[in-house]
Amino acid sequence: MGVVDYIQTIIDGALFGATYSLIGIGFTLVFGVMQRINMSYASTSLAGAYCGLMGQHLLGLPLWCAFPLSIFASGLIGYLVYLTCFRFIPVASPLASLMATVGVLLFVEEMIVRATAGTPHNFPAIFEGNSIEIGAFVLRADLVGVFLVGVLTMILLMAVLFRARLGVATRAVAQQPIAAQLCGMRLQTVNGLTFVIAGLLGGVAGAMTGAAVGILSPLITIPVTVKGLIVTVIGGLGSIPGAIVAGLMVGAFENLFQALRSVSERDIYVMLLLFAFLVLRPGGIVSPGRGRD
Amino acid sequence: MDFYYSLAQIIGFHTLLGLSAYVVLLTGQVSFAQGGFFAIGAYVAGMLTVISGWHVIPAMLAAGSIAALAACLVGFPALRVRGLMLVVATLAFGEAVRLFFFNFDYQVEKGGSKGGPLGGEGFRQIRWFPEHGWTTFEVMLLVLIVVGLVIGALWWIDRSRLGSVLRAVGEDELAAQSVGIDLTAVKVTAMTIGGFIAGVGGALYAHYTTYIEHTNFTVLLAVFAIAYPILGGLQSVFGTIVAVIFVQGILVEGLRFLGDWRSLLFGALIVLVMNLRPKGLIDGAAARRVARLLRREGRHA
Repeated sequence: MGVVDYIQTIIDGALFGATYSLIGIGFTLVFGVMQRINMSYASTSLAGAYCGLMGQHLLGLPLWCAFPLSIFASGLIGYLVYLTCFRFIPVASPLASLMATVGVLLFVEEMIVRATAGTPHNFPAIFEGNSIEIGAFVLRADLVGVFLVGVLTMILLMAVLFRARLGVATRAVAQQPIAAQLCGMRLQTVNGLTFVIAGLLGGVAGAMTGAAVGILSPLITIPVTVKGLIVTVIGGLGSIPGAIVAGLMVGAFENLFQALRSVSERDIYVMLLLFAFLVLRPGGIVSPGRGRD
Repeated sequence: MDFYYSLAQIIGFHTLLGLSAYVVLLTGQVSFAQGGFFAIGAYVAGMLTVISGWHVIPAMLAAGSIAALAACLVGFPALRVRGLMLVVATLAFGEAVRLFFFNFDYQVEKGGSKGGPLGGEGFRQIRWFPEHGWTTFEVMLLVLIVVGLVIGALWWIDRSRLGSVLRAVGEDELAAQSVGIDLTAVKVTAMTIGGFIAGVGGALYAHYTTYIEHTNFTVLLAVFAIAYPILGGLQSVFGTIVAVIFVQGILVEGLRFLGDWRSLLFGALIVLVMNLRPKGLIDGAAARRVARLLRREGRHA
């Protein structure tokens, strides 16, 4: 393999890594607001993508409908997760919330296995077209499309978080729940809406993962969960830009080691990357500011 | 009858798995690495009895010690972080161990056939018990004795100074630190004890099934490990045992007539239990009630 091949592998990986970034942002968003872990996030995102597929298969909707339907379904599932795992469990028992989301993870995975009889399904390629050639490098059109949608979603999310009233409320609740309540914000509503936003984002992430991989299979929920969590930690907890960079990085790293070693060993190196970060820079790429309580 | 003996053995391994997570959870750390330690114990013990021809009991202790060493080594970098980051670090460790065994080939010629782990094919023929003429009942007795010893040790730890220290760290790290408790030492100790228990459990499991492969030790196993103590409650070791019997005995075996639907039920049930009893099935109030009941019985007798 020459230098060009290495760079090509890294570029392909980074483009694919945009899907990891999206999942990582979802984990970060929920953790940033509630300070609790939602282990079911990646599986509910993929469940959203499955709902998109279902619309196409059962209702006979046109191809492009799969995408908006996934997003909508995922937002709804996000709110359901909030109701079942966070709304009625006291703040003082974070372990109970963690365990409940694991329960949802198992439930959703089993539902997918039941509904599809365990067989993989083709996910419609949202972007078709010729590969783009830049000099010696070839960019796969579908991966570029996934990457662009990912970037667009992130910009939209940043706009909501930093410009819209809801985003301001979300950030206020994240920093000081009690003070935010005293200022007249409804804690439960804001938290619930955060889950809806994270869910919508998860719908994009799930559909993009489906579009990038080409198939949806119940087998990919756990690996995507693990990768998403690794991206969250490498990026720095609660940091959206960190998650974006970490997602692209993990994607590139993974693809490089897949080319150098083999598919079955690839993930070991991603885990080693995580441990390197934990030892050398436990705060992640973008360490969250100190003094939060 | 053999069915009930195997069921008792399965409950035994899962109790060991749950208790290994229980020790770590006492210090307030959520570890998804227990499945990895279980796998290390299973592979090490299998290799010792199959390749080196050891007796099963020293092999079990050696497997536990190696798993404990691994736990100690993982503990140092992983326990610098807390909460979500620890969850991710331990989850990643568990998966890394699984992938390691997925790529691990070490076949040795023995008596005309090859033995030892063979990557994705798995590790076959760990037949120490049948080769030495143990009946299912005797194997079950061994498993139950080991489980009993571990429960006894944990029961004693809970009542000793170490137990109070572990719980103090779990309740409030800052307060524990300000009375002079070395947080890292306590957390790594808990992790090491947990690793040992999981390793011993894995060793017994490998010899019970006679065949292990990397898919036995996925994230799901780690999820089960922490599910038991959280479902059962961290008030005492008995919560974990109640949860294991509830899940393995009633949910997995008792509801067999429901077929595959019971896995669906399992996830939903966890959500329900956590909503109704966020502190676990046997929480502080329930434990006190049981203790009061026992005391009253004692007085009447």
